[in-house]
Amino acid sequence: MRRLLVSAALVWLPVGVLGLTWAAWHGRLPDRIATHWNGTGAADGFGPASWFWGTLLAIGVAAGVAGVVAARTPGARFLLTTAGSVSGAAAAIWLATAGATLANPADARLGWRFLLVFAGLVWGVVVAAAAGPRPVTAPVGAPAVDPLELKPTERVAYSSTLRSPLLLGVTLVAAAVVAVAAATTAPAVWPVLALPLAAALLFARVRVTADRRGLRLVAGLVGVPVKRIALADIDSAEPARIAPMEWGGWGYRVAPGRSALVLRSGPGLVLRLRDGRRFAVTLDEPEVPAALLTALRHRASG
Amino acid sequence: MLFRVDVAAAEPLADQIAAQVRGGIVRGELVPGERLPPARELADVLDINLHTVLRAYAKLRDENLIELRRGRGAVVRDDADATRLRLVELARRFVDEARRQGLREAEMVAIVKEAQP
Repeated sequence: MRRLLVSAALVWLPVGVLGLTWAAWHGRLPDRIATHWNGTGAADGFGPASWFWGTLLAIGVAAGVAGVVAARTPGARFLLTTAGSVSGAAAAIWLATAGATLANPADARLGWRFLLVFAGLVWGVVVAAAAGPRPVTAPVGAPAVDPLELKPTERVAYSSTLRSPLLLGVTLVAAAVVAVAAATTAPAVWPVLALPLAAALLFARVRVTADRRGLRLVAGLVGVPVKRIALADIDSAEPARIAPMEWGGWGYRVAPGRSALVLRSGPGLVLRLRDGRRFAVTLDEPEVPAALLTALRHRASG
Repeated sequence: MLFRVDVAAAEPLADQIAAQVRGGIVRGELVPGERLPPARELADVLDINLHTVLRAYAKLRDENLIELRRGRGAVVRDDADATRLRLVELARRFVDEARRQGLREAEMVAIVKEAQP
């Protein structure tokens, strides 16, 4: 617990650097500073210093809050690392930009300072190291299910449709915001609209099937398979309570060693694969597909 | 929901599948608007004939439980009524038992009328 507190504090450290450097430097900085650099390190974009700093501070604070949440959530190491990288990068961008401007206010050059950004990103690794190794999470409260009783002449298939009105709503709102931005100020943003729309098409309705082929997720609205796990690759299937923060958030999450489709918190199916990876999907009554896949595994190996 | 068929059972496979869909609707596992697995896929994973699944789906369509549309597949109808379906299932069991006892239709109707308070 102590190490987690330290690591959460380390996520906030770059935020503190942002605050201190602003206090020390803002008197000497011009109102408008270089905020964007071309490939050769010369400035090609300018903006108000206070606005630029404020944006980075907001990003840093958001990462700091995420870091505290991650430190309080068992197993949320990936989020903790990401929070550290984001807050580190926010402070590094500020240090590189403000430093370049202070060094030569008339003709700011980024030069070697772009390396600071990488150092900022690596801050996440420092945070993760301070947090220590991920606790070994024994699957408590998630007893392995009894396999479904199958007669040799029986054939069974499971199919269920997941709906996520919330996710659909959020992505459509995001699409509306992007569309308004594109229509009013930044036409270059139009292609970005494809992202929330694709997310809505893929994950608003997902059909999950478990059968002799294994587990499959098919995007319901367009019929595209988004995940296939062959029966032979499945080591075990268990029902579990899915806490989105432990799997990296909502939606389709990929993190080292595990991936998940998380549409809500609550019951879900967790597969352990032969190669040690894990896959989770939120489902009502996950005992049913878990028992079926367990039985099919037994049948295949016996 | 779980589709479960026994190739060794006396009941035809199509009837087994139709019964499972009815059960799914009665238990609320299948709600109006829900799509059933495409017939081809279900036939493949259960390792049974495509026409068996199509026959089951056609039966459910004739019972006004699902809609079959080209390109959209089989969808549970908006007016698929779980409560009524439960009664139909009870009536089916009643009719089966009455037949076993050698009752004719008029006698069955008489019994149902008698059952009314």
